Amino acid sequence: MIDQTWAERAAGSKLECEVNGKAVSAEITPSTRLLSVIREDLGLTGTKRSCEIGRCGACMVLVDGKPVNSCLTMAYQCSGKKITTIEGLAGEEMLHPVQQSFLEEGGYQCGYCTPGMIISVAAMLAENPKPSMEQIEEHMSGNLCRCTGYGGILRSIERAIERGGQSDDRG
Amino acid sequence: MALNQEELLRSPAVWQPRSIEEAIGMKEEWGSAAVYTAGSTLLRTQWEAGTAAMPRHLIDLGSIASLSGIREEEGAIAIGPMTTLTDCRSSGLLAEHAPLLVDAVRNIAGWSVRNLATLGGNVVYRVGDAVPALIALNAKLEWHDGSRLLFESAEEWASSSYAVPRLLTSIRIPCEEDDPTSNTKRFFAFHKVGRREAFTPSLVTVAIQGEAEEDGTLTKLRIAAGGGQTTPVRMTRAEELLLGAKPDGAGLQQAFEAVLEQYEPRTDPFATDLYRKRTAANLVVAALWSQSPSNASKG
Repeated sequence: MIDQTWAERAAGSKLECEVNGKAVSAEITPSTRLLSVIREDLGLTGTKRSCEIGRCGACMVLVDGKPVNSCLTMAYQCSGKKITTIEGLAGEEMLHPVQQSFLEEGGYQCGYCTPGMIISVAAMLAENPKPSMEQIEEHMSGNLCRCTGYGGILRSIERAIERGGQSDDRG
Repeated sequence: MALNQEELLRSPAVWQPRSIEEAIGMKEEWGSAAVYTAGSTLLRTQWEAGTAAMPRHLIDLGSIASLSGIREEEGAIAIGPMTTLTDCRSSGLLAEHAPLLVDAVRNIAGWSVRNLATLGGNVVYRVGDAVPALIALNAKLEWHDGSRLLFESAEEWASSSYAVPRLLTSIRIPCEEDDPTSNTKRFFAFHKVGRREAFTPSLVTVAIQGEAEEDGTLTKLRIAAGGGQTTPVRMTRAEELLLGAKPDGAGLQQAFEAVLEQYEPRTDPFATDLYRKRTAANLVVAALWSQSPSNASKG
């Protein structure tokens, strides 16, 4: 027989969290992927859908400041959390220093991986403003680019390190 | 943002128990219709690939506070199974007492996946890359079956058949204090070979933890090999051959043959069993060769 107190343990179908600094309250089944919530429910299409198994990093977002693959994250795991997508990384007026660095150094070609790349680099530099090449490789190994050969991306990361890649705007 | 009724019917109910007893009660009630979930990274990929069906009930263990954290406890490092791989990777306690596990975790997936995935999830997966490291470290697993605690070694877990519903509640790594009067030196090695340099599924994984005297004589040695869908096992024959000896060329050749014989990998279309056997044997003897004082400088 089901214990009556278990009813209180059910994750409800209302997701309440913060996305890019704004409170979000949405009727969503608890196992819905965060990627779907962001793109389809909130219309924030800067977060890209690609491999859908956590390998490519195109759907990377920050949850409480940590990068996660939104294709692997479910709505109930985001309850009460602060989520930052590529649209919310910079302030109103200026690009985030990491975005500016990618722009200046040509850290993209088709651009599909770029939002995820920038999210991961911003998170890495927030944690460690001067990472070694070994640390860069470890932190960026979950972001794949099929166009650039990574040369431009590494240049962009070096440039972001030089200008201090952190921003106070992160969630 | 209205809820799609069809989606609601298809989706699992998510339950967030507050205690181990409550979680086990739910599992007992719903049986195979319910699945425990930790970081859920493996489950999501299995659902996407169609190798597992979405269950009717998900029991989210993230709501049980006692299942997270790393602490020193009764001569061991106790790791809560809900501790993320990132927290294991950056733990000072693990870096000091179990650098082998830190190295293993560093080689699992990428940073963003490690922010979600848990050590307990990797252990319960059984073929996770942390398991060979935990076998080499002689780790103990603590489980709860609803009425009592059960204990077994990581090695026993890997080789057992799991039938009774139970919940992993702690992973304990024995702390071995350095004896200041001893001349022995501890060493470890973790190697994972895949089809890419980083963030790669493993073809072969080897973990070694040992202790050697100044002249290279091995006084303690535990070797585990796994990788891919191969359940990790201890390479006891190689251990027996090498314990008490200095790993010279002839000894390592024998150890190579012993690994070749004892390691029984599962194959897939990408790599044959012979390739995997040779890889495992090479990784073991190369690691032991390079830690020996007389060979270290020869590269």
